[in-house]
Amino acid sequence: MWFIYVLLLFSAGWAFAQDDAVRYLDALERKYSALKDYTVDVRVHFDMEGFNAPDMQARLYFKPPDKMKVESKKVFFFPKEGGIFNPFMFKKEAFDIRLLEEMTYDNRKAVKLKLYPKDTKKMKQSFVLILDIESHQIREFHTSSEEKEVKGVIEYGKFKEFDLPTRIELHLDLPFKESFEMREFGQPAAVPQRVTGKVEISYSNYRVNSGLRDEMFGSPKKKK
Amino acid sequence: MKLVWFETVKTFSRWRTYIGFSVIALIVIITEVVMRLSADEILYRMLRSLEKDFLISGNVLNGWFVTAFIMNSLHIHIPFLITLVAGDMVSSEATSGTVRLLLIRPPSRSRIIAAKYITTLFYTAGLVLFLGLLCILLGMTLFGSGDLIIHHYGRFGIIYLEEAEIPVRMLLAFMAAIWSMMTVASIAFLLSTLAENSVGPIIGTMAVVVVFLVIGNFPLDFFRSLKPYLFTTYLTFWQRFLDDPIPWQQIGSAAAILGLHSILLFLIALGVYSRKDIKS
Repeated sequence: MWFIYVLLLFSAGWAFAQDDAVRYLDALERKYSALKDYTVDVRVHFDMEGFNAPDMQARLYFKPPDKMKVESKKVFFFPKEGGIFNPFMFKKEAFDIRLLEEMTYDNRKAVKLKLYPKDTKKMKQSFVLILDIESHQIREFHTSSEEKEVKGVIEYGKFKEFDLPTRIELHLDLPFKESFEMREFGQPAAVPQRVTGKVEISYSNYRVNSGLRDEMFGSPKKKK
Repeated sequence: MKLVWFETVKTFSRWRTYIGFSVIALIVIITEVVMRLSADEILYRMLRSLEKDFLISGNVLNGWFVTAFIMNSLHIHIPFLITLVAGDMVSSEATSGTVRLLLIRPPSRSRIIAAKYITTLFYTAGLVLFLGLLCILLGMTLFGSGDLIIHHYGRFGIIYLEEAEIPVRMLLAFMAAIWSMMTVASIAFLLSTLAENSVGPIIGTMAVVVVFLVIGNFPLDFFRSLKPYLFTTYLTFWQRFLDDPIPWQQIGSAAAILGLHSILLFLIALGVYSRKDIKS
């Protein structure tokens, strides 16, 4: 009998913890619900082995839930994962959420959540988020799938009523497999390798809710 | 100087001299037009390994990229076009029966051979410069300008050269390509002094280039150990001007090795020509 009591006690505790975890994501979603779009100038600094490039600049346009566009006069590389601040991607309905830890982050109350996608065909990676629960900000994120890992640390500034990133530091660990069939005579086929390094992205000149139209993002590219 | 001028006029009055220019023009025009028409496919093949993780925007497939691409593709074929003229330079006198007439006139044999060699180098430089100018001008017209992205095959290696610094680097790369091709021209020139017809030097030079390239690229340790001793290893040192930072030491040693080859080959040609028996 005592075993059932203990089990009930634990399962009740677990259920409350899950409720809390959902509430934190819900609060995040509500906080940015009035964000209709934003435009920002980004400056990207690559510190990656094998990536020899100067700092790159571009203008980035974003519209929820996931429309984005980059404008640059020069050739511009931008990490797909973690570079675009999108608070709408963590919808509570899309994930099984687990509260990993309650903690203090920069002297503020925070929680560490683990998010498992419900539809693994649509989204392959799981996420770990550190959420500041006083200001409802994602302070760190960590995505991992079988192949790749991306860690990010976010610093915020206030733009209109929104907290938006002023700097994101990404740590990438990605697989790289050559796909360009042309190679010089005698060169052996390429061996898959890892690409690791740090990418620092600075964000400035935000323009929020300026009424970006859907047409400016164009139609999504068909995959070949 | 007068001799060089005579040799240059003689060389450029032969239709054979223009085969190289015509072939290059044809190849470059066809390649660039096809690249323009299949730009999407090229970009997809070029960037798909990177586009999984990076968003890439801007004019990646621009005139500079196309120029580097064609240069990379043609560095094995250009030597053949050079040998068409360099291999004919001295032997054509024997074939046409003008060698005795030429050598009984006042200029010394060494001056005559030097003039012919300078003309060969002039033709070589002209051919490579023609390739470069055509690639760049047509490339800029069809693809526009932009930053140059160099992607090393077989490893994650991206070099990003800003548009402003590309013209100087390209100029240096083409000068290095001319320097490399001068070595090939010197081989053809030497063989030309040894032969009585033009076919031998042309085939001979190509045989040397192809055999050295094959030996140098065999994926076996024995052949790999020979690679530093083959001049063909250094023929593509022009590519280093598109590295970042530019490996000056590597470029310097490659240029010195190729330069020594050219000088040595010319000196042998000079020796052979000075002792050439024209009476038989």
